[in-house]
Amino acid sequence: MATTRSRPRFGAVVSGRVGWALLPIVATAAILAVLPSVWFGDSPYTTSLAVQALAFAAYGVGFNLIFGSTNQLFLCVGALAGVGGYGAAILTDETSLPMAAGVAVGTASAAIVGGLLSWIAVRRSLGVIFTGIVTLVFSLAFANLLLGQRDLTGAETGLVVTGAPARIGDDQVGGYYLFAGILVGFLVVFRVLQLSHVGWAFRALRDDEVAAELAGVDVSRYRIYAATLGSAMIGLTGALLAYSAGFISPTTYSFDRVDVRVLVLVAFGGLGTLLGPVIGAGVFAVLDEQLTASLELREVLYGVFVIAIFLGFRHGVVHAFVALSRRIARGWGGRPVEPDPPQDSRPEPPPVSG
Amino acid sequence: MLEVAGLAAGYLGEPVIEGVDIEIRTGEAVAIVGSNGAGKSTLFRAIAGLLPPMQGRVVLDGKDLTRRPAHRIARAGIAYVPAERHLFPAMTLKTNLVLGAYPKRPDRATLELVYALFPRLQERQRQQAGTLSGGEQQMLAVGRALMARPRLLMLDEPTTGLAPIVAQAAFEALEGLKKEGMTLLIAEQQVPLALSVADRGYVLENGRIRLSGTSVELDRNPEVRRAYLGVA
Amino acid sequence: MRAVILDGIVLGLAFGLLGVGMTLVYGLGGVINLAYGQIVVLAAIVISLRMEDGWATVQAALVGVLAAAGVAVLLDQTLMRAVYRQHGEERTLMGLLLTLGAAFVIGGLLTWRYPAGALYINVTGEPVSILGVPMAVGSVWASVIALAVAAVLLLFFGGTTFGRGVRSVIQDETGARLVGISPSFVRTVIFALSGALAGIVAITQSMSGPLTVNAGFELTTFALIVTVVGGLGSVAGAFLAGVLLGVVNSLSAHYIGQYITTIILLGAAALTILIRPRGLLGR
Repeated sequence: MATTRSRPRFGAVVSGRVGWALLPIVATAAILAVLPSVWFGDSPYTTSLAVQALAFAAYGVGFNLIFGSTNQLFLCVGALAGVGGYGAAILTDETSLPMAAGVAVGTASAAIVGGLLSWIAVRRSLGVIFTGIVTLVFSLAFANLLLGQRDLTGAETGLVVTGAPARIGDDQVGGYYLFAGILVGFLVVFRVLQLSHVGWAFRALRDDEVAAELAGVDVSRYRIYAATLGSAMIGLTGALLAYSAGFISPTTYSFDRVDVRVLVLVAFGGLGTLLGPVIGAGVFAVLDEQLTASLELREVLYGVFVIAIFLGFRHGVVHAFVALSRRIARGWGGRPVEPDPPQDSRPEPPPVSG
Repeated sequence: MLEVAGLAAGYLGEPVIEGVDIEIRTGEAVAIVGSNGAGKSTLFRAIAGLLPPMQGRVVLDGKDLTRRPAHRIARAGIAYVPAERHLFPAMTLKTNLVLGAYPKRPDRATLELVYALFPRLQERQRQQAGTLSGGEQQMLAVGRALMARPRLLMLDEPTTGLAPIVAQAAFEALEGLKKEGMTLLIAEQQVPLALSVADRGYVLENGRIRLSGTSVELDRNPEVRRAYLGVA
Repeated sequence: MRAVILDGIVLGLAFGLLGVGMTLVYGLGGVINLAYGQIVVLAAIVISLRMEDGWATVQAALVGVLAAAGVAVLLDQTLMRAVYRQHGEERTLMGLLLTLGAAFVIGGLLTWRYPAGALYINVTGEPVSILGVPMAVGSVWASVIALAVAAVLLLFFGGTTFGRGVRSVIQDETGARLVGISPSFVRTVIFALSGALAGIVAITQSMSGPLTVNAGFELTTFALIVTVVGGLGSVAGAFLAGVLLGVVNSLSAHYIGQYITTIILLGAAALTILIRPRGLLGR
C-alpha cells in the first residue's frame, strides 16, 4: 500500500511548493493560448476539432474527480452532460431567460443528479461494478427519456439551441477560448483539491477505504462531494457545448459518443492524474484526425489501440512518464517528482492468522 | 517424504519466512509451533502452492514441487486445510466432500472412513456448508482434504475458533488418523496439544526455525517451556 | 392477454439464453464481457455467409457455433490472461476496457466488411397453436432450443464432476485450487462455452426475425440486464430472470409503449442492484 502522510489541518495546503504545483497548469494554459495562432490557420474545421477535444478533456477532469479520485465508476458522463445541455437548452427555449441562466440551471441539475447517484451508491454500499451498472442504466434510461419526450426535446431530430452569441460558436476562436478557459479553470480546481486535505482524503480512501474511515475520513461524504463537483463540471461543459454548437440531439450525449471515449482517454492519460485527461484528449483528437478513413475502420483501429494501450500502459501515460522521469532523476541524484506511484494490483491478501 | 530446503516466502517483496528447512518422513506427525506472526501460515501456503516461494525448494518423494500451481500440488498428494478453511458455502456438506476427490469420482470407502471419523458430518450431509457451526466446518474441511487420499495432510491451526472440548476432540481425531498411517503436518499455537499428537516438532520464530527435535525433547526444553507453556 | 404473455415467454427464453453466457463468465472471474453481443453477431454473419454459399442450415449453424467458441477461446487466451492477473477493482476496470476494445474490433470489422449483413433463418410451417394462441413456428423452435439448452446446462452444472468444479470456483476460488481444480482451465472452458452459447443465441434470435450486424451493443446490454437480475453465475437465475423480464417487456410494450418499456427493463436491473444485489438466484 502507498503510505499516506499524517492528516493535515483542515484547509491546509499539503505541499508548500505552490509555484511548482501550478506549473503544469500554467504550461498547459500557455500552450492552449498560442495553439490557435500556431496550428489552426483560421480553419473552422480545425477549430471545431479543437473545441471537441477541449470539451472531452473537460469531461475527463470531471470524470477523473469522480472515478479517479473516489473510485465511483460513473458510466453516465454523457447523460450528465446531457442533463446540463438539454436542461439549459430547454430552459432558454421555453422561457426567455438568458444563456447564463440556462448554463447555471444545467450545471446545477447535473450536479444534483450526480450527487444523487452517488448518494444512492453510498447508501447501498455499491461496489465499482454495481455503481457502473446503475449509472449505465441511468445513462441508457436518460437517452430513452430524451427520445420519448419528443415535445420537449425534439427526440432524434434534435433541438436547436438559441440564446448564444455567435462568437462562441464551436467553430470559432471565441468558442475555443471559452472551452480552453473552462478547462484551465477545472484543472486549477482539481489541483487545489489534490493539494489540500481533500486530496489527502481522496488518496486515503482510494488506498484502503476501511483504514481511511478509521483515520477519520468520512468516506461517504467525500464521495458525494466529489461526485457532485465532478458532475457539475460535466454538466457545465455539456451546457456550454449546447450553446456553442447551436444544436443538440441525443447522439451528442450518447453513451457511445461520450462515455466510451472519456473512459478510454482518461484511463490512457492516467486515472487520477491532473493532466491525464488533457493528454488523452489531445492524443485521441490527433488519432481521430488520422483515422478519418472509414467510420467502421476507425472503430476497429480504435479498439486495437485501446487493447494495445491497456496491455502496455496499464496505469496511463502520465504515470509511465512520471516513473521514467523518476528513474532518470534518481540516476542524476535529483529529487523525485510529486505524484503518488500507481497502485499495483495486490496479490491474494495474506490470511489474518500468523 | 517431504523435504523443504532453504525456503523463503513473503508478500509484496518482503520475506516473512527465510531459510526454512523441514523434513517429514512417511507416517510421521510433525508440528510447527510458533506464536502469531511467526510465519506458520506463510510457510504452509508456500508449500501448498498458494504463495510462490522467493527462494528454496519443496520436494515431495523426489518430485520438485517448488513454484508449481496450487492445484497441481493438491493433485500430487498434498492436502492443505487452511485456517480459513475455504469451503464451498452454497453446496451441501456431501458435495463439499465429493469435490475433495476431484478430479476423480468419490471413493465409497474413503467417504465411509470420513463419516466414521466424523459421525456429525454424516448426520448433516444434506446441510449447506455455509450454515454449519465452526467445529463442523473444521471437520468438513479435514474430511474434504481426506477424500483425495493424500500422501500428506497439512493443517493450519485446526483448533482456531473451536471450544476447548471440541479442540480436544479434533486432536483425538487426528490421533486416529495418525494411527491409520496418515502423514501429518500441523501448525499450532497451542503447543501442548500439538506436541501430544506429533512425533517431532519445529519451533518457528520471526520467520526462522529456532529449534527442532522430537516432541519429548521440545516438551522438556526450558526455552520452549518458558515461551510457550508459561512455565518459569 | 394470453398471446402477450406467451410472446413474453418466448422473448424471455431468448433473453435467458442470452444472459447465461455472460453470467457464467461474470460469476467465474468477475469479468463483464462487453464484447458478448459482438460474438453473437459474428456467429450470425458466419452462418449467413455459409448459407449464402449453399450450405444446409444445420451445418451452417454448427460452423457458426464453433466459430463463436473459437473466437471466445482466442479472447480468453490473449486478453483475459492479462485481466485475470489483476485482482479486485483493477481486474474490473481492465476487463471492461479490454473487452470494450475487443467489441470495437470485432464489431467494427463486421460492420465494415458486411455493412448489410444480417441473418434470418426462416422456419417454414404453419403457426403452431399453444394454449389456443397461434405462435410462429420459428419462435416455437427458438423456445424449444432455449429450453433444451437450459436443461443440458442445469444437468451439466448440477450433475457432472466438471460442472461441480465450475460451481466450486465461483463459490470459493482458493478452495477449488486446494481440491485440485485449476481455475484458469475452468475459466477457459467456460469462456469457450459462453462463445458457443452466443452462437446458439444467434441461431435462435434469427428464427424470430432478422439479426442484423449492428445488434451487438443492444444484445450486450440485454445480456447484462438479465445477468444482474438473475444473479451472478446462476444458470437457472438467468433463465428465470429472462422469462420474467420477457413477460414484463411484452406486457409493457403492448399496454404502455416502447420507450418506457426499455426504461422499465433497465430500471429492473437497477432496482435489483439496489434492493437485492445478489439477484434472484445468486449467492
